[in-house]
Amino acid sequence: MTAATIRAGWLALLLCVVALALAPFARADVAVPVLTGRVVDQTGTLSADAVARLDQKLKAFEARKGSQIAVLIVPTTQPEAIEQFSIRVAEAWKIGRKKIDDGAILLVAKNDRKLRIEVGYGLEGALPDVTAKRIIDEIITPKFKTGDFDGGIEAGIDRMIGVIDGEPLPTPQPQHEWAAPESMDELTGWAIPLLFGTLVLNGFLKAALGRVAASGLTGIIVGAVAMLFGLVWYIALVAGFAAFLLALVIDLFGGPTISSGRRGGSGGTWTGGSSGSSWSSGSSDSGFSGGGGSFGGGGASGSW
Amino acid sequence: MRKFLTVLAALAALSLSNCGYNTIQSEDQEVKSTWSEVVNQYQRRADLVPNLVNSVKGFAQQEKDVLLGVTNARAKVGSIQATPEVLNDPAALQKFQQAQGELSSALSRLLVVTENYPQLKSDELFKNLMAQLEGTENRITVARNRYIKAVAAYNVTVRSVPTNFTAMMFGYKEKPNFTVENEKAISTAPKVDFTPAPAPAPAK
Repeated sequence: MTAATIRAGWLALLLCVVALALAPFARADVAVPVLTGRVVDQTGTLSADAVARLDQKLKAFEARKGSQIAVLIVPTTQPEAIEQFSIRVAEAWKIGRKKIDDGAILLVAKNDRKLRIEVGYGLEGALPDVTAKRIIDEIITPKFKTGDFDGGIEAGIDRMIGVIDGEPLPTPQPQHEWAAPESMDELTGWAIPLLFGTLVLNGFLKAALGRVAASGLTGIIVGAVAMLFGLVWYIALVAGFAAFLLALVIDLFGGPTISSGRRGGSGGTWTGGSSGSSWSSGSSDSGFSGGGGSFGGGGASGSW
Repeated sequence: MRKFLTVLAALAALSLSNCGYNTIQSEDQEVKSTWSEVVNQYQRRADLVPNLVNSVKGFAQQEKDVLLGVTNARAKVGSIQATPEVLNDPAALQKFQQAQGELSSALSRLLVVTENYPQLKSDELFKNLMAQLEGTENRITVARNRYIKAVAAYNVTVRSVPTNFTAMMFGYKEKPNFTVENEKAISTAPKVDFTPAPAPAPAK
């Protein structure tokens, strides 16, 4: 037993401990419910009418404003406090648009008689803690106290929508039928049409402008088109640059060399966001998913 | 010759990225950014304190020592540097944590005292400040949790084989983390209940 082996042993032990600490919490916490729609009621508290009305309201709101709001009713959040459970739900559901983070969740823990409005980063200006607290205390809980859960939640959601409407947010994009690719892996599906577009475009432009200018313009146009189709900006940039290079190469060597369109392992690490696509299809009720918004614990809690 | 150099450079880059250099970089960055979020939220709390003290003063002047305790703790927090350099110095982190912990307990004492002043509790300004304080405490908790996770991930990378060799080569050391002592006292936000008729309290 040399000192070195003992040290190594300790190191291994430490590693085990840290790995344990990192392991998903094995406590008996309530699992985050599956996001099945804009209103998830695990207690059967809301009437079918109320759910339909809320769903309609929230969908119209998202179409008009872009912000996503979800309602979740669970029996209990024990052993966690409602705030801890709430942030886990928010991190899992990613309500709100990516990078705009304009999501909010109204969470009710029925048997604990507690509720919380969880507010995404982007709405903390429109719906500050004080306002969230007042919506809970003055609008929702008085109705809850009389057992009117439908009315309380609907009134609360109405007020949240009203408050958020007061703040200008970026207008919602038209709803795409397809999911916008968000990572390099997904670019391969786009590479073929981009390639053809590049060839055709470059052919036209070359006649008008000459070689290098045409290649440059082709790159710019392809990049812009990629942006329009909803590719993340840096991927669009890469696509544009690739188109520029491709156009140049084609010009220099004459014949086009059609590659498979697959790009090999790139050296850089691409931070592809969540692969959750941002837009529900709009035609079906069940196709609701969070847009990748992030939360930092803003909002307010209350009880009745 | 140039070809040979190119190949060599490519090999070096590959071996570095395979031995976790990039992982260490991104995790180190993650630690830094989560830390600034922690500091940010603590700052937000510190900014609230003077307003809170003033609003309580108006109704409860006789609670001088409690108010003084909060003011002093707030001053102490303000005097401590919280630059990212703190992250590599366990003692500095300890000091930072202790000061914030003292402010937390001073605030809880203040909140306990406010229970005796119904007029204060129904004051609109005070209510708003309480809502902000609760929200801020919760944000602090979230930010701290994210920081703890980021540091844990970074430390695992720095310690495990083979990335620990890369870490050693470039001088990346383990970072101290928030300790769990008095974690309870720090991370539980002061709870204030304004409901006039207290509901049946659930088992805590």
